[in-house]
Amino acid sequence: MAVVAPTVAQPSAQPPARRSPRVRWIAYLLLAPGLGWLFLFWLWPSIQMFITSLQTGTYAEGYTFTGNVGIYRDVLAAYPEQLFRSLVYALIVTVACLAIGYPLAYAIAMRAGRWKNAILFMVILPFFVSYIIRTLSWKFILADDGIFLGTLKSIGLLPDDAQIVNTTSAVLGGLIYNFLPFMVLPLFVSLDKIDPSLLEAAGDLYSNKRSTFLRVTLPLSLPGLLAGSLLTFIPVAGDFINAELLGNPNTTMLGNVIQVQMLEHNDYPTGAAISFILMAAILIGVFVYAKLLGTEELTG
Amino acid sequence: MTERPNYDDMVRQALMRGLTQRRVTRRDLFKYAGVGAGSLSLASILAACSVKGAKKTEPTGPTTLPETAGKVDIANWPLYIDKEGKNAAGVVKGGTVADFEKATGIDTRYVETINDNEEFFGTDIRSQLGSDQPTGWDIITMTDWMIAKLIDLGFLEKLHHDKLPNVTANIQDAFVNPWFDPNNEHSFPWAAGLTGIGYDRNKTGRDIDSIEDLFDPAFEGKIGMFSEMRDTYNFIFFKMGIDPVTATEEDVAEATTILEQQRPLVRGYYGNDYTDQLAAGNVWLTMAWSGDLFALQLGQADDQDLRWILPKEGGNRWSDNMAIPILAEHPADAHDWMNFVYDPKIATQITEWVWYESPVKGVQEMIAEDGKDHPNMALLAEDQFVWPSAEVLANTAPYKRLDSAEEAVWQDHFDRVVLG
Amino acid sequence: MTDVDAAVAFERAEGRGTSNAPRRRGRKKGWFLPTFAGLVIAYLFLPIAVMILYGFNDYAGKYNYAWQGFTLRHWGNLFDDPDLVTALQNSIIIAVVVTALATILGTMIALALTRYRFRGRGATNMFIFLPMATPEIVMGASLLTLFVTFGVPLGFGTILIAHVMFCISFVVVTVKARTQGFNAEWEEAAKDLGATPWVTFWTVTFPLILPGIAAAAALAFALSIDDYVVSTFNAGKTVTFPLWVYGASRQGVPATVNVMGTIIFLVGVGLALLNVWFQRRREVA
Repeated sequence: MAVVAPTVAQPSAQPPARRSPRVRWIAYLLLAPGLGWLFLFWLWPSIQMFITSLQTGTYAEGYTFTGNVGIYRDVLAAYPEQLFRSLVYALIVTVACLAIGYPLAYAIAMRAGRWKNAILFMVILPFFVSYIIRTLSWKFILADDGIFLGTLKSIGLLPDDAQIVNTTSAVLGGLIYNFLPFMVLPLFVSLDKIDPSLLEAAGDLYSNKRSTFLRVTLPLSLPGLLAGSLLTFIPVAGDFINAELLGNPNTTMLGNVIQVQMLEHNDYPTGAAISFILMAAILIGVFVYAKLLGTEELTG
Repeated sequence: MTERPNYDDMVRQALMRGLTQRRVTRRDLFKYAGVGAGSLSLASILAACSVKGAKKTEPTGPTTLPETAGKVDIANWPLYIDKEGKNAAGVVKGGTVADFEKATGIDTRYVETINDNEEFFGTDIRSQLGSDQPTGWDIITMTDWMIAKLIDLGFLEKLHHDKLPNVTANIQDAFVNPWFDPNNEHSFPWAAGLTGIGYDRNKTGRDIDSIEDLFDPAFEGKIGMFSEMRDTYNFIFFKMGIDPVTATEEDVAEATTILEQQRPLVRGYYGNDYTDQLAAGNVWLTMAWSGDLFALQLGQADDQDLRWILPKEGGNRWSDNMAIPILAEHPADAHDWMNFVYDPKIATQITEWVWYESPVKGVQEMIAEDGKDHPNMALLAEDQFVWPSAEVLANTAPYKRLDSAEEAVWQDHFDRVVLG
Repeated sequence: MTDVDAAVAFERAEGRGTSNAPRRRGRKKGWFLPTFAGLVIAYLFLPIAVMILYGFNDYAGKYNYAWQGFTLRHWGNLFDDPDLVTALQNSIIIAVVVTALATILGTMIALALTRYRFRGRGATNMFIFLPMATPEIVMGASLLTLFVTFGVPLGFGTILIAHVMFCISFVVVTVKARTQGFNAEWEEAAKDLGATPWVTFWTVTFPLILPGIAAAAALAFALSIDDYVVSTFNAGKTVTFPLWVYGASRQGVPATVNVMGTIIFLVGVGLALLNVWFQRRREVA
């Protein structure tokens, strides 16, 4: 899964200075193969994708570079709703995961006592089962005549035409389910490291649970909140599986368009242009988010 | 507690730092970007960046057929063969496939993997064909218009008619020299059928007889349409009272508007997986291929009443055809398969299960013969949609033949519909 | 799913982390949080439970929808489908090779970043971060444009390339978290005692960072074996397990998928429990 990992930056303590040129040479030697791989298969494809987006042609005759920047305008004109949905769904899912994930992480970190590790393990457990299977399982559970709706219908609690699968709610529900742990785990990590004596001191100072939470716990858990939100937002904005399996024609996201253009129509320039827009939108989103929270350092 | 370094804490500190620390200054970034850009000249980038056309200008395949290899890989659509002993995953062992293995000793892998022409072409075989690799299939079964497109791209082997005595002897005249493949140079039909509407009578609560029913707001969220562009546009052309074969770009634009208005009622644009949706009760009425509904009826639940109709405005007439993709690894065995299924006895065995029209002479008669003992077979032999009469055919139309420019225009319109 | 936090929290869940925070003694324990947590965990398990249950459904016909009785036959039929077996083999081979390659390459980068000072460290860190900030579908699509441009045949090799690519950054980050702040004095001591850098590395450094490497390898394995998105763009005719499941699901999900899911689930749980058990033993000893 392509997600932002939280532990990217350097420690404040620099590694020991090793000035001898021979040693530095070793560092470059250690870096070369891995970075080479990323240059060849991450950076180069990204550049190639941009170049491809400016090509014109057909699948049969091939695509050649024409510097067709207009494609970006065309694509934005053709798929504004999908772009909008990708970003809005990602936002809704992030907020929902936060609403569900924060109390859960808090409960595990603060209240689980000796069961802490066991419960955390339980949260991760379902995710051993592969992503596609989990999503298909929801499709099965929520089918119109399935075990959930079918039962309610047969005892007359729901009308015959009630449906969940292939609605916006199903797509959002699937996304929330699939990405909840991305929110819970970083939140847990930052909540768990809060020193309880701080909370006790705060309790003495403010003598009010609410103030203690707002003035101490919440600020201290902010790094986890920020990391969790990014970890959720980015993959959700690029997802197409949930919209494909649980959605309907009115819930398609940008990912679905990329998939169809690239794989079914072999229209590489269009697919590449949309991919680029998605990436740009996500980077802008991340940047704005970081600005709002006053952590402009995040994006470097 | 042990004296080990506290990794857990380190990780958490790192997490904290990761979120709060500046990684690279902007100046650094510009500096590195500058170095990078300087080292790559624009010209060298652009020179390396055209995507080769997929179209084959020279024949790639061997002109003579190699020896039989003892193995064959066949890709086909679901619900398209008799499948006694078929396992849950769609791999067929038993029935016609077993008979073929017994008769020829050829190890046969028959997989029901095709869901939609475009999807199969784009996802399963396109990349190999484009880069001169075998697709992994010796026989693919594609709808007429897709055969035309594949021939145009140079992606199909020429067939060796001398290795297909059953085929040349038994093919019905109506299937010889079709519009999409002159002289059957590259393909022979597997089966032919019609696109109409399938529905669950118990769910809809009334009979369905018209394309207009697919626009009934009472069925909001329960309507299925096809992701096959040509099928779906043809239906709208019928609704508009236009002959699909002569449809113009303006007609397509208008049809697109109609489809966009319909979309809020539509649950999904399906390939062959519409059968799954219908069986699950998720769609109540949907565009449907004629024979599938029979197979679905066999497995329908007690509270289901699945039916198929040809809309009064008209339906689509098509054929699915066997062809050998270029660079297929077992072309001789593929010929053996084609020849085998054109044995009228075998073709009868298949048709009695799939309920689609067989292109093989004498099949209808043999089914009628079986009908003396089995009422179901008598019904099949008489079925006006399996063996369409001139009257039924008059109410159907094939797909318009699109050149690649026209196809691109249609596709752009259709994308606006199916991609929401 | 899985990501670095999963790895971090995962180690905690396994009881490997040794938090130095004293046990909390909450005074007033409300009912709301525990109930809420219980409900969320039930929700997380619901689709898994249903998946496992319907692997035992004795359904007739093609569609595994209504419960029709208990059977073990899907467990017996598991390897009847040669395509499923091939897909599983492909997935496992790819995951193993990817794990080995990505772990080696990533660990080398992590070592360079934490053990040495050199020009361009900041830029390297930034560069490692970018693939993780790229949605999978963009990585899949961009690799496809590269392969298409140069006529590289898609298949086993391209899947390997892609998986190693998106695993490297995660390995770097996971190993780095371990290497950072680790006590350089131990290495100095070894050096003072006359050990060559090579010997120092293998006798001192490597054992210390081994848990980090193991966690990174586990993460890489999980990322690779569960990948659908990047693979679907670059697989050609090679079918991996997630690709197979997706294809099969178009025509009604066969119960063998439920069974495979159950097995994967149990293997994951088993490995995790085994890990906890070893951990306990080591701490006791």
